[in-house]
Amino acid sequence: MSRPPILHGDPRPLLEINDLVTAFHTPAGRVPAVDGVTLSIGRGRTLGLVGESGCGKSVTAMSILGLVAAPGRIESGSILLRDTAGAAIDLATLPEPRLREVRGGRIGMIFQEPMTSLNPVFTIGDQIAEAVRLHRDVSRAEARARALEMLALVRMADPRRRLDEYPHQLSGGMRQRVVIAMALACEPDLVIADEPTTALDVTIQAQILDLLADLRRRLGTAILLITHDLGVVAETCDDVAVMYAGRIVEQAPAEELFARPRHPYTIGLLAARPERAAAAARGRAGGRLRTIPGMVPAPQDFPSGCRFHPRCAYARLPECAARPPELVAAAAGHLVRCGYAEALGPPRDVATPDREAS
Amino acid sequence: MSEPLLDVVGLQTHFPVRRGLLRRQVGAVRAVDGVSFSIGRGRTLGLVGESGCGKTTVGRSLLRLVEPTGGGVRFAGHDVLATGGAALRRLRRRMQIVFQDPYGSLNPRMKVRSILEEGLVIHRLGTAGERLERMTRALARTGLTAAALDRYPHEFSGGQRQRIAIARAIVIEPDFLVLDEPISALDVSIQAQVVNLLVDLREQLGLTYLFISHDLSVVEHLADEVAVMYLGRIVERAPAAALYTQPLHPYTLALFSAVPSVEPHRRRQRIVLPGDVPSPARPPGGCRFHPRCPLAERVCREVDPPAATVEGHAVHCHVAARALDEAGGDAAAAAARIAAALRAVAPA
Repeated sequence: MSRPPILHGDPRPLLEINDLVTAFHTPAGRVPAVDGVTLSIGRGRTLGLVGESGCGKSVTAMSILGLVAAPGRIESGSILLRDTAGAAIDLATLPEPRLREVRGGRIGMIFQEPMTSLNPVFTIGDQIAEAVRLHRDVSRAEARARALEMLALVRMADPRRRLDEYPHQLSGGMRQRVVIAMALACEPDLVIADEPTTALDVTIQAQILDLLADLRRRLGTAILLITHDLGVVAETCDDVAVMYAGRIVEQAPAEELFARPRHPYTIGLLAARPERAAAAARGRAGGRLRTIPGMVPAPQDFPSGCRFHPRCAYARLPECAARPPELVAAAAGHLVRCGYAEALGPPRDVATPDREAS
Repeated sequence: MSEPLLDVVGLQTHFPVRRGLLRRQVGAVRAVDGVSFSIGRGRTLGLVGESGCGKTTVGRSLLRLVEPTGGGVRFAGHDVLATGGAALRRLRRRMQIVFQDPYGSLNPRMKVRSILEEGLVIHRLGTAGERLERMTRALARTGLTAAALDRYPHEFSGGQRQRIAIARAIVIEPDFLVLDEPISALDVSIQAQVVNLLVDLREQLGLTYLFISHDLSVVEHLADEVAVMYLGRIVERAPAAALYTQPLHPYTLALFSAVPSVEPHRRRQRIVLPGDVPSPARPPGGCRFHPRCPLAERVCREVDPPAATVEGHAVHCHVAARALDEAGGDAAAAAARIAAALRAVAPA
């Protein structure tokens, strides 16, 4: 995949999240879904944010967009969005009217289920045109022309006819193209795509991932791709951040992360993939997969110290249980939140005792 | 190999499409439209395909959870489709199913004890004491303890619920399990645990599996043989190693190339198929894949391709059949030729 063109202007990251804490206040107590996330995305780069359900990746996205609904709120930290001149606004504290300008304007959004992002009673053309008119001072005719241009850009077959169709007349893959067209209609600096292909079949997923990569190359848009699928990340992203229990546990350029994963959780996730087992033991069908024992903790039961230690194949007790590790650079551009990542040998064999207690 | 445990010939399951005041049948959704395969005792057949291809309907038709409209299913020498009443119930004790969603497949108002006991009661297996022993044993095999018996499904995590669903299936000691996307709803770190459990159970209990999934890498890991479905038909079927190393059908190649991989050396040049899967209510004539096939020729639009078979590797494709012919029956050479042809026409 070729790199996006080098962009002039401020060399600092487009988006910089510092120590973000977003918590939900429920009758059962405070639930810190995002608990100290630090993350940055460069201009025109694609960052993959991976993690399992409940790790806080979607809440991170919602925090960026100012869409965290009560009883949740951003408690601390900053989310800086920079323009090309280097001037930054903090989305964590920006008042709602100004957030509305950012949403769909400088930041586009693509969600998992396209049908929930589209209004069933308006035509495709009207919905894209509305997105344009919300942020640009253009006439109806100009907005409609822009909608047509966007449908062609996302390679929709027969775009002129599609303008006047309704969402239910389209297949899942075509609906997701419409959502992408809406997200890109105002030429955003950043697109947040939350599991954009999870609801789609693999051959349609391939079409959409190809389209996103192509659009990024042509438009220079940065993408925050949120997914649980490491394969999708490996094939589309420049950088990867792995999230576990409300925190980033590892961040590195994609090639580096997949070749030299350093956090035991990342190592475990990669080893648990059947394709890695198949690559290691070609032809020996039905062997055992490596597993990560136990399950992802709920935010109200985050363990003390390193949050991964109860499931970690390398955990050194009591140190790992006592002291939460910092996110530190293990190599150039490779951040790891594990006190022992440097000293890790080959993983201990955790393939056998993987039974969950009931 | 001796007689297969399960033998399916020309299975057809059509759902009627009704319209108007009189609910007249105006057509049919051909969900499964002529599917044949067999599974030997203790073997695993992987059934892969995209949503709407009919793979789930195949699984349900075998157990007659939906009624097939044609074809034949033989299980351990019995004609499943001709059996009814008590005889069908006896057969069903030997054939069980595990569904994708462990949140939907377990009754939230029943304790695990009742969930597991139901099958034992229906099939009149054992005394009360023996039932408890069987249930405890089934739970232990799936990695749970007898303490689970007095709890409700909501008290368990997704992975544990799927273990309960598997315990329910094995408690009546079946020979054959239909596993319909059993790990798709689970988190990545939990998937591997359940896959290992299925491997263990197959070994310990000598089970035979039909493993239905859209996840090609899990199927590669678990299956001895794999069948690829498209629009109600099996388009290619082969021993797992052969299918993954030398796929012959253009659809299989496209499907494999579309799976994102973290292994750089396993990444293939992506063959992006144009368009969407057509509706099974109006399947295209000739080869059903021809409207999306980059290699389609005139004959593909006109003639439904018969199977071409080399060493247990069967493919329904005119182009692949010709490539096999020209390669003198060398599947590897034919596969390489088809892959090259697809790469040549792919838009770069």
